[in-house]
Amino acid sequence: MNEFNPNILAFCCNWCSYAGADLAGVNRLQMPPNVNVVRVMCSASVKPEYIFKAVSQGIDGVLVLGCHIGDCHYLTGNHRTAKRIPLAARLLGKVGIDPRRVRLDWVSAAEGEKFQQVVTEFVEDVKKLGPNPMKEVRF
Amino acid sequence: MDKKKVVVVGGGIAGIQASLDLADRGYEVHVVEKSPSIGGHMAQLDKTFPTNDCSMCILSPKMISCADHENVVLHTYSELDGVDGAFPDFKVRIREKARFIDTSRCTACGDCIAKCPVKVTSEFEEGLSNRKAVYIPFPQAVPRKATIDKDHCRMITQKKCGVCKKACQAEAVDFDQEDSMVEIDASAVVLANGFDLMDATSMPEYGLGICKDVITSLQLERILSASGPTNGRLQRPSDEKEPRNLGFIQCVGSRDSNTRSYCSSVCCMYATKESILAREHAPEVDIAIFYMDMRATGKGFQEFVSRARDTYGVRYIRSRPAKIQPVNGDSGVLMNYETRGLAGESKTEEFDMLVLCPALVPSPDNVLLSQMLHVELDGEGFFETPDLAHPVDTTARGILVCGFASGPIDIPDSVSQASAVAARVAELIEGGEDS
Amino acid sequence: MIRIGVFICHCGHNIASAVDVEKVVEFAKTLPGVVHAGHNLYSCSQEGLSSIKKSIEENELNRVVVAACTPRTHEPLFRRACEQAGINKYLFEFVNIREHCSWIHSKEPEAATEKAKKLVAMGVAKAALLEPQEEGESKVIPRAVVIGAGISGLAATASLLGQGIETHLIEKSDRMGGLLKDVAIIGPEGTDSKSLIEAFMSDIRTSPKAHVHLNSRIKELKGFIGNFEVTIGNEAEDLKVEAGAIIVATGACELRPEGEYGLCEHPQVITQLELEKMLSKSELTAKNFVIINCAGSRQPGREYCSRICCNASLKNSLRILDLDPDASVTILHRDVMSCGTAAEALYMNASDKGVRFVRYSLEQPPQVRAEGDGLFVEVFDETLDEKIDLDADMVVLATPLVSPDDSVETSKLLKVPRDKYGFFLEAHVKLRPVEFATDGVFVCGSARWPVSARECIWQGQAAAAKASIPISEGKVRIEAITAEVNPDKCVACGNCVLACPYDAIEITDRDGIRAAEVNEAQCKGCGTCVAACHNDAIQQKGFSSRQLGAMIDALVRATTEGTQ
Repeated sequence: MNEFNPNILAFCCNWCSYAGADLAGVNRLQMPPNVNVVRVMCSASVKPEYIFKAVSQGIDGVLVLGCHIGDCHYLTGNHRTAKRIPLAARLLGKVGIDPRRVRLDWVSAAEGEKFQQVVTEFVEDVKKLGPNPMKEVRF
Repeated sequence: MDKKKVVVVGGGIAGIQASLDLADRGYEVHVVEKSPSIGGHMAQLDKTFPTNDCSMCILSPKMISCADHENVVLHTYSELDGVDGAFPDFKVRIREKARFIDTSRCTACGDCIAKCPVKVTSEFEEGLSNRKAVYIPFPQAVPRKATIDKDHCRMITQKKCGVCKKACQAEAVDFDQEDSMVEIDASAVVLANGFDLMDATSMPEYGLGICKDVITSLQLERILSASGPTNGRLQRPSDEKEPRNLGFIQCVGSRDSNTRSYCSSVCCMYATKESILAREHAPEVDIAIFYMDMRATGKGFQEFVSRARDTYGVRYIRSRPAKIQPVNGDSGVLMNYETRGLAGESKTEEFDMLVLCPALVPSPDNVLLSQMLHVELDGEGFFETPDLAHPVDTTARGILVCGFASGPIDIPDSVSQASAVAARVAELIEGGEDS
Repeated sequence: MIRIGVFICHCGHNIASAVDVEKVVEFAKTLPGVVHAGHNLYSCSQEGLSSIKKSIEENELNRVVVAACTPRTHEPLFRRACEQAGINKYLFEFVNIREHCSWIHSKEPEAATEKAKKLVAMGVAKAALLEPQEEGESKVIPRAVVIGAGISGLAATASLLGQGIETHLIEKSDRMGGLLKDVAIIGPEGTDSKSLIEAFMSDIRTSPKAHVHLNSRIKELKGFIGNFEVTIGNEAEDLKVEAGAIIVATGACELRPEGEYGLCEHPQVITQLELEKMLSKSELTAKNFVIINCAGSRQPGREYCSRICCNASLKNSLRILDLDPDASVTILHRDVMSCGTAAEALYMNASDKGVRFVRYSLEQPPQVRAEGDGLFVEVFDETLDEKIDLDADMVVLATPLVSPDDSVETSKLLKVPRDKYGFFLEAHVKLRPVEFATDGVFVCGSARWPVSARECIWQGQAAAAKASIPISEGKVRIEAITAEVNPDKCVACGNCVLACPYDAIEITDRDGIRAAEVNEAQCKGCGTCVAACHNDAIQQKGFSSRQLGAMIDALVRATTEGTQ
């Protein structure tokens, strides 16, 4: 059997974490190719519904990356992210999806290495969790 | 009210940035570039230190913004013919050299280039490959128009040929074209005409032009470039084989009281960059950098050197070469050098390829420009900037300088100087400053 | 009908060495709505752009997707090309397959190619749902704020005033001049520091458009390019100033590595700045000087070179010998960083005048010890290849400039990033050295990286040029990524009103229909309100839930149906 290769979606805010991901690229920091980045202006614009949608359709993990608390380009946007995303993860837990399939973290524009580390760790974590059981659900 | 005009001499990164800032500031900018395209030396570079950002990728948008800007007029393949007057009323005459191509018709399709029978050494590729007598210097050239080199074109030199004219469906080839003159009433003039590489063949002890596998750093830059003469394959000139080892010699002709006494400021870092890139292109190649002082003084530079040494295994050897000579046969180079300390010993190492990092010297045009514009040069031939409070002001009012034309600096410093020039021009024009 | 064109960039070898561009092109052709897919060696070259423009015309495209590098640097270029070809620039979508793919998976070409396909599928799915947008405009307040009255801030302020722009200069201490206050002569130029500072200060004092706030700090910053509101506070009062642009010139300070090399243990061990103070009084209290370069820099934990210390050591050695030709000066160094013409001349001059240079290594740093009344410096001389013991009656530590402690606070107040050493992180290290990624906020001098007085001055002027551009223009365009409300779905619950960090939303009553309404000039396009809305009634232009949902669907489809 082929090794499980998770399919992961990441939301990165334009100002910090997307720039951090760019920096990782500029520094040629190698990482597993499982994470697909969607650029949003602020991590606070990530609706929990996006996470539910992704997970319900079989995406194996969702990363939400924003600016560090206090550094948000939009003043306090990420304070909301900090509450919203863990709540979304908990809700998933209630319906039998491992909440560890959702991870929230902070990556600044200067933290290419942190981006690499978060991506590498998350891919490893999701590999351990195995495929998203929702993949097998056929409506 | 008509926009005030500024003439910028030189279309490298310093001139481009000065033009963009001045144009954004509302002035009408006339860029005078002697070669057929703007871009300067930065266009020749493969990557930039210390991030290894692709040079063309970050430069190209600036070149295009410059060409597209409603306040910028590009005079490429042009030179200053004369300047009269003084601040704030310069009369600047620009000679637009004949390209023998009607640029309003040329579509840069390349049909003329394909048919042209004359091969000429490519300046852009640092002599590593040929171009035609009708040519576009590089794929990302701005403006993207063909130019006929009148010194090599058979139709112009011998009155026979003309195949390019037949090939051109746009009817853009015009052998009767003559130089044209443009006169600009400018409030200020900006000198941003950059640097040249010192001709290292004038120092035979380094072996350039004697050993085939001794090249310059700018040639290596082209070899490493994906769009360069070897499509990015690291190979030595003598037999086109991938070298097993590669040596870099720093301070060739610089920091030397017999030639150029100053430090060119950028060679330590670009040699480090080129060595990392060479290792990425050819993971087996062994690299040694022979240096005097490792000058890594900018943001992220020291870490970059550490990365080259620790991750890429680049050997940094503090030593000067004593002798460089060909190995038996055509390929490879033998180099003698002293190891450090009084107890140091003389070593001989064979390299498949040696890269010289020559002094970066003022453009030979500086002498003429200094006479034309009545500005002073310093002892080395760079434009003098004597007033510390105004580091981009030359000795003449209303004439500013940025980039390597005022002395050895790297790209970010050239860019910030270029912006400073825009501020100074605005101060002089808007403030009616009378210092 | 949606007609999407997809252009995959080779970026020379940057993308093509890992991603099989032709395969991605073939895959793109199979995606819904795509009527054309092609590739370019460099999409951002004039040739690449004109081929895109030509294709827009030939294939009657109404959506364009470019898969290349990062939108953070190249989006404006491709948007402009779309506009030139007659397509609204908001119908362009950028896919990053370089920074986010080829560069970080360079050793896994197959996986990189598969990922590039997924990313392209996601971009195409979003593009199909893009809508044309109109940009708003906002006025720029013709006033600037400069933070820090060191040499960079003075140069920036003087330049802004010289351009006729009203400027507020904020300085936390009670005097202008910064680090140069303690320096007599600036090297390598040999300029008198006092008169240089005085010249800038008199420009500022005599200008009716200058406002200097000493003993003051920024307490709060609101707003955005063109319309900042800065609260400047001192002990007595707070003052609100509206400004169009802000320049950060907060400088750096000298590291004092207490306890190292005997600093604070022996009074005869001093830092370079203390030596400067001594020299500015023209009084020497010692005869045998040993200057230790790289004291606290270029070592694990603080790996950087502080750029200016070598030249300061050289200049000060010559100054010592000027004051006392019988004095002796030894400089212990690891490399002498005298880049350029003037600095190298200074180095040669110091050698000629008898300054002794001893090279040491990181592994065997100098040891300072006291014996009787004197000091000795033991060091392994790399050139002689042996240990030497130097008699010294004064040891000078050339320590690096470090970021001041309060730069954390500045960074948080202004929402601008710092690097790992605490220096401010510019928008692009190569081509945007005095700009932050945040529009309207600029940086100069040693706040960004340790630099010489000359560099500080031109960077200050460069930042002034950048700040003057929107101010002289008088207006800035507002990117059309603002939020908009669908009043049919809105139940006027007010969640978005509470969520908005900018107070840009209010509940209005229009003909009896109560709904949220966004003030476009105040909306900064963060999308926080979008996620707060329970009814999907508020959407961010260019990032709507339909568009992002379509990207998720596309990723799922590309994975389950395969990308072959």
